Amino acid sequence: MVNRKLVKFLSFRYVILASVLIVLSGGLVLLPKYQKHEGITPEALLSNANSPERYISTDELANRLISQDPSYLLIDVRDESDYKEYTLPNAINIPLQNLLDEDYEFYLNQSQYNVVLFSNDNFYADQAWIICNRLGYKNLFVLKGGINVWFNTIINPNKPSEDMAAIDFDLYSTRKAASMYFGVAYPEKIKKSSVKKAPANIASKPSVPKQVVPVKKKKKIPVEGGC
Amino acid sequence: MKELEKTKRISIAAVLTILVVLIALLSYKKPSHLYAINSKAALEKITDINYLISQNEIDQRNQVLVDIRNSYEFDKGHMEHAINIPVSDILTDESSDILESFKENNKAIVLYGTNPTETIAPFMVLTQLGYDNLKILTVENSYYQNNLITKNVAAENKAPDINGFIQESIKKTKEAMDKAKAVPKPKITVTPKQIIPVKKKKKMPVEGGC
Repeated sequence: MVNRKLVKFLSFRYVILASVLIVLSGGLVLLPKYQKHEGITPEALLSNANSPERYISTDELANRLISQDPSYLLIDVRDESDYKEYTLPNAINIPLQNLLDEDYEFYLNQSQYNVVLFSNDNFYADQAWIICNRLGYKNLFVLKGGINVWFNTIINPNKPSEDMAAIDFDLYSTRKAASMYFGVAYPEKIKKSSVKKAPANIASKPSVPKQVVPVKKKKKIPVEGGC
Repeated sequence: MKELEKTKRISIAAVLTILVVLIALLSYKKPSHLYAINSKAALEKITDINYLISQNEIDQRNQVLVDIRNSYEFDKGHMEHAINIPVSDILTDESSDILESFKENNKAIVLYGTNPTETIAPFMVLTQLGYDNLKILTVENSYYQNNLITKNVAAENKAPDINGFIQESIKKTKEAMDKAKAVPKPKITVTPKQIIPVKKKKKMPVEGGC
C-alpha cells in the first residue's frame, strides 16, 4: 500500500519541484526592499565621516589654483544667490538640495578630477560630502573653513605682529601674493612705484641739446726722419 | 534505462539547488545596522527639515541631550541632563539600545559637541539609519577656569562681502594712482649747458732728428 502511495507521490515530483522553485523565485521579489540599503555600511560611513582626511586647507587650495592645477574642480554648495555674489574662480554651483540630481552626477561620480566642496563654513559642505561618501564617490574633499576662512587667510590675510616667528611672515607674504592673484589691489604698492618713477623721470627729462662733436681720429703719421 | 538516468540526474540537480539556497538563507547574517532611507531621501530630509535649535529652545521634557564628545571632555564639563555617547561608539549595541529607547518614548534626540561641525557625522549617520526627530544644538563649548561655557553660534556664518572688499581695494588703488599722477612734478630749471668743444691737441710729428 505504502509503495503505491509513494509511487503516486513520486509521479507528481516534477510538479512539486517546479512549485518549490517558483516559491523561491518569489523571494527574489523581496530584494527591491533592500534598495534602501544602498551604499557603504553605516560603520564605514561613520568612520569616514569622522576622519579629517577630507579637509583641504585654504592655503593649499590657493596654491593649486595659482599653479593652475587642472585636476581640481570646485563645487559651491550654497544657494545660487550666494554663488552669484562671490565664488571661488571657476567654481560651479550645485545647491545642496540639488546635489543628487542626475545632471550633476557627472561632476561627482568620477575618478579623474579632485572635487573640492565648499560653502560659507564647512557645515553644509561636510553634509554634502557625507551624502556622496555613502554612495561611494571618490576624490571628494571639503575646504576647511569655507569662504569665511578663505577671506581671512587669502583675500585679507592677517599681518603677523612683531613677535611672531619668521615662518608666519613668510606665510603672510605668500598669502598676500595669492590675494593679488585673486584680484585684491594694494594701494601701497602703487605709491611706492610712483615715487620710484618720479626721480627717474626727472633725470631723463631735460633733454639737453647735445651737440655731436665729431672726434677726428688721428692718423698716426709715421715718424719722419731717422733717429 | 536511459530515461531513468535522465530523471535521476534532474532530481539530483534540483535537490542540490534547493540545498544550496537553503544553506545560503541560513548563513545570511542580518547586518547589525541597516539604512532606513536611501541617499536621495536623506538629502531631502536634511534640506527640508529645520533641525537646528539654539540653547533657549531646549525642551527638557521632550528632548534628550546627547553629548557626542569623548568621555574625557564629558567628564570635564557637560550640559545639564546630558548623556554621553562618543561619536565612535554611536553604532555599538548599547548605544543603539539607548537610542532606540528614546525613539520609542517619542523623545527627540538633540546632539551637541564642541562645535556644530562635530555633530554632522553622527547626525547624518543616525538620520540615515532611520532616527527621525534628530536635532543639532548649535552651540560652541569651551572651558574657562574649568567651567564649561556654552554659547550659541550659527551653523554657518554669513559670507563676508569679498567682492565689496576687492572692489574697495581696487578703488583705493585707483585713487592712490590718480593722486600720484596729479602731484605736480617739481620744476627743473634747465640750465643751458654749454658745450665746450674739446680741442684735441694734435701731436706734432717729431721734427728733426734724434
